[in-house]
Amino acid sequence: MNDEHKIIQQVYAAKEDMQEADQLISTYMPFIKTETAKFLKRPPIEGHDDELSIAMIAFHEAICGYSRTRGAFLRYAAMLIKSRLIDYHRKEKRHKNLVSFDMPVNEDNERPISETLAVKDNYSEELVMRDATKAEIEELTNQIQLFGVSLTDVADNCPRQQRTLEACRKVLNYAKENPELLDELLRTKRLPITKLSQGSGVDRKTLERHRKYMVAMLLIYTNGYEIIRGHIKQVLKGGTAK
Amino acid sequence: MKYMVMECYPSYAVLLDENGCFFKAANLHYEIGQMVENPVLMKQTSLKEHRTIKWISSGIVAIAACFIIVFGFIYYQNYMATYSSIFLSINPSIQMDLNRHGTVIGLTGTNEDGIALVEGYDCKGKDKVTVTDELIKRAIDMGFLSEGGRVSFSIDTPDEVLFQEYGVELRSNVAQYLDGKMTVTIEIFNYKDSQQNLTHDNSSSSSALPSSSSSISSSSSLAPSSQPAYIPPPSSDDDYDDTDYGPHNDGITDYNDDDNDQGNTNYDENNEDEDSDDDNDDDDDDD
Repeated sequence: MNDEHKIIQQVYAAKEDMQEADQLISTYMPFIKTETAKFLKRPPIEGHDDELSIAMIAFHEAICGYSRTRGAFLRYAAMLIKSRLIDYHRKEKRHKNLVSFDMPVNEDNERPISETLAVKDNYSEELVMRDATKAEIEELTNQIQLFGVSLTDVADNCPRQQRTLEACRKVLNYAKENPELLDELLRTKRLPITKLSQGSGVDRKTLERHRKYMVAMLLIYTNGYEIIRGHIKQVLKGGTAK
Repeated sequence: MKYMVMECYPSYAVLLDENGCFFKAANLHYEIGQMVENPVLMKQTSLKEHRTIKWISSGIVAIAACFIIVFGFIYYQNYMATYSSIFLSINPSIQMDLNRHGTVIGLTGTNEDGIALVEGYDCKGKDKVTVTDELIKRAIDMGFLSEGGRVSFSIDTPDEVLFQEYGVELRSNVAQYLDGKMTVTIEIFNYKDSQQNLTHDNSSSSSALPSSSSSISSSSSLAPSSQPAYIPPPSSDDDYDDTDYGPHNDGITDYNDDDNDQGNTNYDENNEDEDSDDDNDDDDDDD
């Protein structure tokens, strides 16, 4: 009974703090592995089986979505892990006829298919590009921390409705047309909500509700971050990538 | 759709899609800066669904609460609130509180005998007629009511029609109940009329019997007709303040006061009248 109370307290703490969530996941890793093993009917191999990653994200979902009305946490987490693994398994079934690069060429030749394929010319370019992207992302992570925000917070705060996304795009366009607002953001480390709201015509409450997301997006539109901007070029165009 | 891996944790990764949306997804051995396709995104609908369910359930609870309040209020008005009262007086005086349907919801003895009569008696859920019959039976058993006795009902109802209905019902039922057992006088009054008369009497310092028009019937078919003499609730008919004696005398002797004024007793008026007559006689003798 006390253990149950303790875990519930830990879950509620983990909802607010990502470090707590990570710690909780580490603590309950054996439980996650057991649930995955029940599904796979064999012990999962860490770093190899995607199912274990799926089970971990399902456990994370369980932390975020848990409330006392849902009953015992571990039972809820186990149910969620099972459902996500089933979903993943169904999704993977569709690609079953596809051949993996890691598969051997044939029974006589045990070399993987990837080794028989011609090496792509731009592979090194890709690695360089990935490193550059990584540097940009790390820079963004550091800069956004000055605002007391993490990228996880941004993911949690990101609008999901198309209408809200459109409103945020309007604000971004307005800020891009008025670079002094971006300068003000960098200088004061505060989102100029009033000016953005009045200038773009977007409801102040919408901006307040998605403040962290707006900070991230406006930072991306300051100097630097060309690669990230290139990735999300659809945003300012107003289109939707598929 | 391509996603850029922004942040990696053991349990999840933060991805950025081409539309500028950030997502949490299962970390399938990703690295920061990697471009991925078909990630396993973390579902965030559960909380939203939960919130929707919460709203719906709250709405249902609110509607149910409104219904309970409305029906509770109607039920209270119909069955639990006192709508009318019947003051039964044998010698024991009893107050019966009735709901809209004429069911007794409260029984109180208003004098010592009344308290003794209702003691240990359960009136819950019984009709006024049943309660009246049972109380009369108890009064007979306890020796409060005997041959030639009197049973008075003072009915307090918000409208005259109900008074008539209750009056007729009580009179016929009590008469039927006592038929062949004993002969008693049954009197039925309208409580409001008798109260008005009482107020009027108090204000004018004179007293009068309640007029017969205030009652449905002055007597039952079992007994000879008699003037109703009951004035509920228990109050004194005698005007004790109107005295010509003692420290509270008003200094005015009302020579016209006689005993026909509804029991307003002036004990010396006859003597004084006699004295004055004697004086006149003396004068005559002197002459």
